[in-house]
This record gives sequence, C-alpha cells and structure tokens, in this order.
Amino acid sequence: MAVPVLMPRQGQSVETCIITKWHKAKGDPVRPGDILFSYETDKAAFDEEAKVEGVLLEILFQEGEEVPVLSNVAVIGKPGEDVSAFLQVAGISGEQETKTETHAGSTVTEPTVPSQPIWQTEGKKRISPRARLVAKELGIDPGQLQGSGPGGRVMEQDVRNAAATRKKEKPAGPSAINPIQEPVFSGEDSRTERLSNVRKIIAAAMLTSLRESAQLTHHTSADARKLLELRKRFKQEAEKGSPYNITINDMVCYAVVKALLKHPHVNAHFLGDTIKVFTKVHLGIAVDTERGLMVPSLRNANEYTLQGLSSRLKQISEQCRIGSISPDLLAPEASSFTVTNLGSYGIEMFTPVLNLPQVGILGVNTILYRPGDLGNGIIGFIPVIGLSLTYDHRAIDGAPASAFLQEVRQQIENLSVEK
Amino acid sequence: MPKSQFINPKEVRKPSEIRFGTIPVNQYQKTLKEEMKRFGRDDFLRIYRDMVIIREFETMLNLIKTKNEYQGIQYNHPGPAHLSIGQEAAAVGMAYTLSIDDYIFGSHRSHGEILAKGLSAISRLPDERLMDIMKNYFGGAALRVVEKGYKGDVKGLGIRFLLYGTLAEIFARENGFNKGLGGSMHAFFTPFGIYPNNAIVGGSGDISVGAALYKKVNRKPGLVVCNIGDASMGCGPVWEGISFATMDQFYTLWEEGYRGGLPLVFNFMNNCYGMGGQTMGETMGFGILARVGAGVNPDMMHAERVDGYNPLAVIDAFERKRKVIEAGRGPVLLDTLTYRISGHSPSDASSYRSKEEIEAWMAEDSIQWFRTQLTEANIASENELDRMQQETTTLIREILALTVDDTISPRMHAELIGEMMFSNGSVDSFGTGKPEVLLPLEENPRVQQIAKKERFAFDAQGKPVSKAKVFQLRDAIFEAIIDRFYKDSSLIAYGEENRDWGGAFAVYRGLTEALPYHRLFNSPISEGAIVGTAIGYGMCGGRVVAEIMYCDFLGRAGDEVFNQLPKWQSMSGNIIKMPVVIRVSVGSKYGAQHSQDWSSLVAHIPGLKVVFPATPYDAKGLMNAALQGTDPVIFFESQRIYDIGEMFHQGGVPREYYEIPIGEPDIKRPGKDITILSIGATLYKAISAADILKNRYGLEAEIIDARSLVPFNYEPVIESVKKTGKIVLTSDACSRGSYLKDMAQTINELAFDYLDAPPVVVGSRNWITPAHEMEQYFFPQEDWILDAIHEKILPLKGHQPKNNFANDELIRRNRKGV
Repeated sequence: MAVPVLMPRQGQSVETCIITKWHKAKGDPVRPGDILFSYETDKAAFDEEAKVEGVLLEILFQEGEEVPVLSNVAVIGKPGEDVSAFLQVAGISGEQETKTETHAGSTVTEPTVPSQPIWQTEGKKRISPRARLVAKELGIDPGQLQGSGPGGRVMEQDVRNAAATRKKEKPAGPSAINPIQEPVFSGEDSRTERLSNVRKIIAAAMLTSLRESAQLTHHTSADARKLLELRKRFKQEAEKGSPYNITINDMVCYAVVKALLKHPHVNAHFLGDTIKVFTKVHLGIAVDTERGLMVPSLRNANEYTLQGLSSRLKQISEQCRIGSISPDLLAPEASSFTVTNLGSYGIEMFTPVLNLPQVGILGVNTILYRPGDLGNGIIGFIPVIGLSLTYDHRAIDGAPASAFLQEVRQQIENLSVEK
Repeated sequence: MPKSQFINPKEVRKPSEIRFGTIPVNQYQKTLKEEMKRFGRDDFLRIYRDMVIIREFETMLNLIKTKNEYQGIQYNHPGPAHLSIGQEAAAVGMAYTLSIDDYIFGSHRSHGEILAKGLSAISRLPDERLMDIMKNYFGGAALRVVEKGYKGDVKGLGIRFLLYGTLAEIFARENGFNKGLGGSMHAFFTPFGIYPNNAIVGGSGDISVGAALYKKVNRKPGLVVCNIGDASMGCGPVWEGISFATMDQFYTLWEEGYRGGLPLVFNFMNNCYGMGGQTMGETMGFGILARVGAGVNPDMMHAERVDGYNPLAVIDAFERKRKVIEAGRGPVLLDTLTYRISGHSPSDASSYRSKEEIEAWMAEDSIQWFRTQLTEANIASENELDRMQQETTTLIREILALTVDDTISPRMHAELIGEMMFSNGSVDSFGTGKPEVLLPLEENPRVQQIAKKERFAFDAQGKPVSKAKVFQLRDAIFEAIIDRFYKDSSLIAYGEENRDWGGAFAVYRGLTEALPYHRLFNSPISEGAIVGTAIGYGMCGGRVVAEIMYCDFLGRAGDEVFNQLPKWQSMSGNIIKMPVVIRVSVGSKYGAQHSQDWSSLVAHIPGLKVVFPATPYDAKGLMNAALQGTDPVIFFESQRIYDIGEMFHQGGVPREYYEIPIGEPDIKRPGKDITILSIGATLYKAISAADILKNRYGLEAEIIDARSLVPFNYEPVIESVKKTGKIVLTSDACSRGSYLKDMAQTINELAFDYLDAPPVVVGSRNWITPAHEMEQYFFPQEDWILDAIHEKILPLKGHQPKNNFANDELIRRNRKGV
C-alpha cells in the first residue's frame, strides 16, 4: 500500500520548509535510509531519508518550493499503485494565519479591574503642565474646567475644547466674551512697592481735603480765540528770537490773577472760625514731577506782567522738577489760590481737589470746538477752553463762586497784553 | 562538536586509570658560583640593582603611607598602596628574561612587577627606541619632567622616567602612565610590554588568556605572563581562564600554523596569603599550589613550584618554560613561592600571622642573601653595593620630590575624565594582513541562500512575505559580521556553539564554512572567560565578537562586564582601545533563568555602549557601526524576533554596507497624539497597540524605537513629546529599575511643561519569568499599553481595561516588592 512522505517538523516555531534538492526522481526505487530530498528551515538544513521500501510514485513539491510542515511531499508505494488520494495539496500563500490564543481552563479569578480610573481627585484640582501652558496662550482658566484625564486631570484637550466652545457660543466679538475669572491671587499680575514720602504726603492731603471740606465743582468754558491768536503771535516771536514763549497756561494764570483781585473772597484761606482774605495773589500752580504732584507758590503773582509771570512760572516749575524748590513754597499755606491744568492731556472736564486751607482751585481743560456766534448772525465753530472751579462751600456760596468763574472767563476772552 | 572527531563508545567505556606524572618543587639548587658561566657580572649586578630599586620604591611608599614622610619630604597619599616588600626576587626573576614583546599582566600588588618589567625593558631597548617611546608618550610630558637638569645616559633617563611615571600614576597625577586614572592597583605601560594590573583578585586570570590568544591568532611574537596571587586560585574567572587556555582544540583542530597551545604562563605569585587568609592550610586545599596543574590537562600544565626567594631560580624557570611554549605546548602554570614581609596594606596589623614567622622570612630576605652571595663570589665589594643603595635612595627621593610638587605634577582636569570614557574611533581593520577565509564570500552557502530572500517584509501588493522567504533579523546580523570578517584580519568570533552548530539561534550558520578555527571557535561554557578573553584580545589591538547565548548568563560574566570591559579605556588614559562587541541574546519561552532582558544592568555601568535593535535594517546598521568602532558594545538581540523581516525601512535592508550611528533613536511610525518609546522586541507590541489606537479610538501614535540605550540622543523624543504631550515607554525589562525609568525621568526633566500626563513605563512584572504559556501575564502586551494610556494618560472612550495601572495598585505592588 502506498504511503505518503511528510515534510518533518523541525522545531516548534517552524511552519514551512523549502525543498532544496531532490535526490530521487519519480519512478526511482527507494530503500530505507536513502536520502529522498534536502530541505531547509530558516535556521538549518536537513536531509530526509526514506523510511519504507518501494518506488517513488509521486513528487508533490519541486525544488525551491515552500512546503508547510507535515504536508505530503511525495508518495512511495508499489509500481502502478493509485496515488490520487495523496494529491490534495494545501496551497500556501505568504500570509500566515494569526492564531488566536485561547486560554481555556484558566480558572484563576482575574484581578478585578475598574472600568473607570479609580484614582479619584482628592481636593486639589489636577492640571497637566501642558494644559496650563496652553490655557495661558488661549486665555482660559484651567481651574474652571472639568478635566477629562485620569482622575479628572485637566488636559490640553479640555483647554482647547473650552476655547472652541467659547468662540462658538459668543460669536459677537470681544464684548460678548464670557467674563474670564482670573485667579484672584495669581502672583504674577502685580508687584508691591513702598510709598515714597511725597506720595504719602499727597495721599494724606487729598484724603483730608475730601473728608474735611465741602467742596464742589462748577464747569464753564471761555472763548479761546483770543488765547490762540496771542499764542500764535508769541510763538512766532519766540521763533524770531524773543526770550519769551508765553503759553496758554501762562495767559490763563494771568487772567486768573486779575479775576482774583476783583473777587478777594476766593483768594482766601478758610480756617474754621475765620477766613483769611488775601490782598495779594500767591498763585499755586500744580506741577507734575517724577516724584509726584507738587504745588509751588508764585508769591505776589499780581505784581508781574504777563511776560514776568510766564518766566517765573517756568522757573518754579523747573525748580520742582529738579528738586531745588524751597519747601516753604510747597506748603498749601504759601498759596492763596491754585491753578491746575490738564488740558495738554485732552481732559475736557474734571473736579480738582482743594488744596486746604485754600478755598478755590481752578482746573484748566483742553480746547474744544463748539458752535457759537461769529457775529452778524453767523453761527460757526469757535474754540473754547474748559474751566472747572472747585470751591469750598463752607467759605463761598454758589453765586459768588460762579461770578468769579465768569470773571475769569471774561478776562480770558478780553486778554490784553502790555508791550 | 566537530564531526571529524569520533567519540567511540567502545573506547571511552573501556576500564583504565589516570596516571599523573611528577610536579617539580623547588628543584633549582644551583649556587651563584655555579651560575657564573651563565650570567656575567653585569647580569648579577643588574639583578641586585633591580631588587634594590623595587625595595626602596616600596619602602618609600610604606613610609609615606605610615609616617607621611620619606627622607624629609612630607606627603599624604590617601589612596591604596598594596606593597610587595619581600617579593622582589620573584618579580625581578620573572621579568629578567622577558623582551618587550612579552606582555605581563598583574594584580593589585604589582608595583614590583611593573618596575621589574620596566627595568628589564629599559636594559634591552636600544637607546634610540627608548627615547622615541619616552618622547611620544603623551607628548613627552613625563620625559620633560625627568630630563630637566639630568646629565646621565639614556638608560638612566629611562629609569627616572619609569619611576616617575609609575609614582605619578600611584599619586593620581596627570603625568602618570595612565594620566592618574589607573592608580596604584591599575598602573601599566604598554610600550614596555606592561599590561594592566587588576584590582580585582584574579581579574587578569582570563584577560591575559585573551592577550595570549591575540598573539597566537595574529602571529605576534612573545609570550604573556599572568601574574596573579595564590588566593586567586579560588576565583571562578581564573579557573575559567585556565579552562579556556587549555582547550584541546588548540592542539587538535586548529589549522597548521596555528596549532599548539597558547603562549601563556600563569605565574602564581604565591606569597602564602590572600589578604589574611592562608591559602596553604586554611582557605584552599591544594597544599602546594602547583598541584592544581595536574588536573587540568595531560601536560599537567608543565606545573612547577619555583623558589621565588632566589631570583636565579625564577629566571631559570622562565627560560625553561619559554621553550615549552615555543614548542607549542603552552600554557604553563608556575607556583612562584615568595613571601610578603609588608602587610597586605599599611593598615594591616598582621593579626593572622606570628612575629616568628615574619622574622624567619626576614632572616632569609632575598636581597640580603643575594648581596652576600655577590660579595662572597667577589662579584662586587661591600662599598660598591652600599653606593648602589645610596644612589637608589637619592634617586627615589628626587623622583618623589618631583611627583608631589603640584606645579610640576598637577592632577588632570576632572571634566576630561568624561572625554576618556569612550574612544569613539572609526577603524576599518585592526589587522595588518589579508583576512584568512576558507572560500570566497559569494560561494558561501548561507550568502547564497540569503541572496534569494526578499529584503522587505511585504510584497508589492503589501502582503507579508513568508518567514522562509524573508530576509530575517538573524540574516542581517550575519551579513554585517561576515562582511567584517572579510575586511579585518584581526576579527575573531567565539562563544558557545558558534562553530558547526552556527550559534544556538542560527545567526552564524554559514560562518563555519567561511572561517578557519582560529577565527571562529567554540569556547568552553565559561561566560566569564568568554568576555574576559575578549577584553584581553581587544586591549592588545584585535577586534572580537564574543557571544553570550542567553542574556541570563551575563551574571556569569559579571566582573568582566561590569568591572573590566567598561573601564580599561578610561583607566588607561585612553592608551588602550577596546574594539569588543558582546552579542547578548535575550530569550523567551524558557522560563525564569532564560528569559530576562538585562539591558538596564549594563546601561547603568559607565563605559559601555549598549544597543538593542529590533529590525533587520537597524540590526545590520548597528552591527556595522559596532564593528567599525573602537569601543565596547553590548549588542542585545531578541530571540523572539530573529525571524522577523524588515517592515519599516522602505526598499528593505540594503545589500551594501551602511552604518547606523549608535545613540540615535528612530521614528518607526509618525503620529501626533501620543508617543510610544520602545526598546527591543516590544516595538511590535507598540505597533499593535498603535493600530488599535488608530482604528478604535482615532488616535495617531508616534512610535519611536530607542535602538540604543547608551549613548542616547533625547532630542527626537523631546520633539515628539512637545508635539503629543503624552508618552508611554515600553520594553521587556522588569519595570523596577528598568532603564525606561531613567528615560522617563529625563523626559520629565526636559519636557515637563509640555507634558499632558506623566510619562508611564510599561515594563515586565517584577516576578520570575513564568513558562511560555503564561508569558502574556509577564511581558508587556499591546493591551497593557492601551490600559496604561487609558488609566494614566488619556481615558479612551468605551475602553474596558483588563490590567490595573492605577496609582494605588502601583503603591501596593511596590510595598510588596513585586
């Protein structure tokens, strides 16, 4: 009876072998021990010997062919025997079937594994370093987010999702953005500075002023055409070599001095039981310096011409800036009235704070254009300069304060300059 | 297991008996007068002078150690000084007949041997060559110090140079023979044939065998003397070295021209003590050490006890043994009996030996005895010998003054040690001749078989090529190694089952046909000696690939891998190169003692390069780089993937030569959502995990294969982490102490602000490796990687984890130590 010749299995990991040489041809007689064919695995080469006597009836794989192990390679039998039963050969493709490993009989209790991460948040919000970094870029507070990471750790994706949602929900623009709650104490938004002495003095004086007086402010404006015309002229003169470069503020101060002489109760100190009314004008002038606000006094301001006043004002302002001003001139008592000018900052109206015990302070604002009568019934835009008078109602009533303010306005509008 | 040798049961089962011959003990009994024909006056005086120089040098060291003063010079030396006062005759006798082609290796107690060999070399070298050596050593730095103001001859200058170079080395000065990086126990000077002394007892026992192998394989003149102590006979590496050195194949199988024993003398400097343990009578059982030779081979290793207190007896023995070696019957075992009068170290209180014993030996002091012999034979007068002693004292004092002067002899800048750790050379061949091979490369059956293979794992349709037809990782390693065998005549390879069998995992199949025995042979099952001999072979200037069959056997080569291989380049001050590749195969399937990935252990040791390729392309390129380099490389391979084809490198593995720089990781698959860094075969688990992440969770993982552990360029990894913010690290090493933990920490440090979650290490469990059928519970699997991501990094929607990576579980396991 014919018998098959099987491709041996050489080792557990070998699945196929390659036939390298047939030592017998179809029809050859074979005896046990004869080498039938040589074959190799990926690791080694082998010879396969015949195990039975007979004739090599059929060769099913040729040299160079790859044969799955334990397949029929050939048939040995008596001459003329039917070999058809051995001819069903499994074809091989390059693809190896992946074995599904089953672990039958595993009766050991599997360790219970939580389907959800079990390391839960304990109090502190957990935010990944990367989420913090991205949150900072996108302006998101990661502390407010529900984290999707293990144990609720806020991850980059949570921050990005929050940023995307924010955009989607409020497409109207910046005003519609959800208020971002910045961490209250982020530690990175400020620094602590000690107060300078100047700042301490100003702070105390301002607070005292607001707490201990009955101050209020009236606003008006004056036609500035004359001021601008004069300023233009002075500027031209200065360019031509005049030593004076009289500013609008100088001119306003000059007008204020004149008005104060006509309204002496505004040129006064309120001292509780008494009022000290000045017969001369000691004009305080607010000067912004690096060390803070200073208000030096131009003593006897009423004695100066416009040019003289301008020079002196420049002088004491400069002394304040370089720190050489006499401290006596900085005392509030040294001035009888104060002018403060924020016009150069474009301020249209403000409420200056009284420099106690002075009873008045005039704020000078920027120049605006406003419709007005140009004469002959023609209405056009005329420049006006804003004036804000704060006064102490304990010392002066509204009407006289307003009258003073009106006087200032008229002085400005009708400014004349001695040559 | 060569087929040419037949183990005939009829023969080996016959009754018979083993007869041992005799082993001579102290047979030399000639007097000095009798030897006057053999030695001239100059010889006798030189023998005496050399002993006096050694004695005075060590007396100086002893005084510096115990009194901080010698001849009015104050100095404190906190380091070691293991002195050999009393052993001078043995050292001088050993070195007297050696030429500079003869190499000596030593122990921690080898000052005397260094000086004796150096003095011998100086007397033999022509002046011109001696000057050349001194001028060219570290740019002549030491020479400049000792020649300043010196008016004598070149030999005298050579002695000054030798003493200064040695002492500067002992005192850790930059002008020392090894820039002060070796020190007392490791000082050596290769131009004089002085090879490393070794602070590990018996450390030279296998390294010296490698040096003898180098001489034999590369047909270099000279023999090798392994000077080790009597107590080192208790050390495994010494026995392994002896086994390796006496293999039958040297006499039977090695080809004509290479046949015969190794040119090696195991010279046991037997001072009767291993520190305080008496080897004769207490800690060993040999009685007379030479007895051991009887059991080793039929030649009984030509073993002999020699009286090491008589320099002439030792000289006589070395002359006779050289003839044995020249006749091809080496190696030789000498039991050179001597005695250490000084303590083991200056702190030795001699609590283990009696005063009477020390006094008895002092009464027989070889220097005194020899002096008497000289005067009695009228070879020298008392005055002459006194003058010699005085001159020596003056010389040693002068050398000491130069050495302890911080301006003349400064210490090396510490940061330069970093420059010494690797030599980073690129050398095509360490050999000089044409490589000896047995057939042209293209006729090699394995090469022919490989030529028919597909060099990429997938065909044009993307279908995988079958295992039998694909170019495998084992083919890639073979291709790189056989290529180098045809380029570098010095290259040899050995290990267990490397020849005939072709390596246990068929990497070397085809090499046997290509190479003669002396280039590829089977070693004894002696991992210590496999690595130790490779070290000796490499340090002498040959390239070698040694194989450790299973990573688990690395422990058997512990001292060699941890203490010797990584250190000799830097301890030599970069004089020595170490072109040694150790192939280490990481197993699986075979349980607890055959399946461990110990790459982390070697990565911890400074001085080793460590690679672990996981693809054929990387394996060939990294093996080429390792074989082109000059540094020791531990080359890990995984048995799990020897049959894997190249899946990543487009176009497959190139047929031509190329190198992959050691230290560069490789992005195997780009991605943007999470990084997976793998070492070794776990790459393929990472790939499977990445496929699942993509198909099931829509996440694109970037897979980085570390390829190398040391050195390692972190930049590509950090770039990836900056992109993804998340990283999992995985390898087959047990997770506790895994090198991945070191990498994770470094990534944390370098990319903290970019991390969206902590780096998570997925390593093997801290257990024994179980049987193959249970390995999936031990080695990282793709679902472990997914579970770790889900639980520690990014919860995956709908994912049902099977493994517990939670923090409380981590704490529990650590608490239990598992």
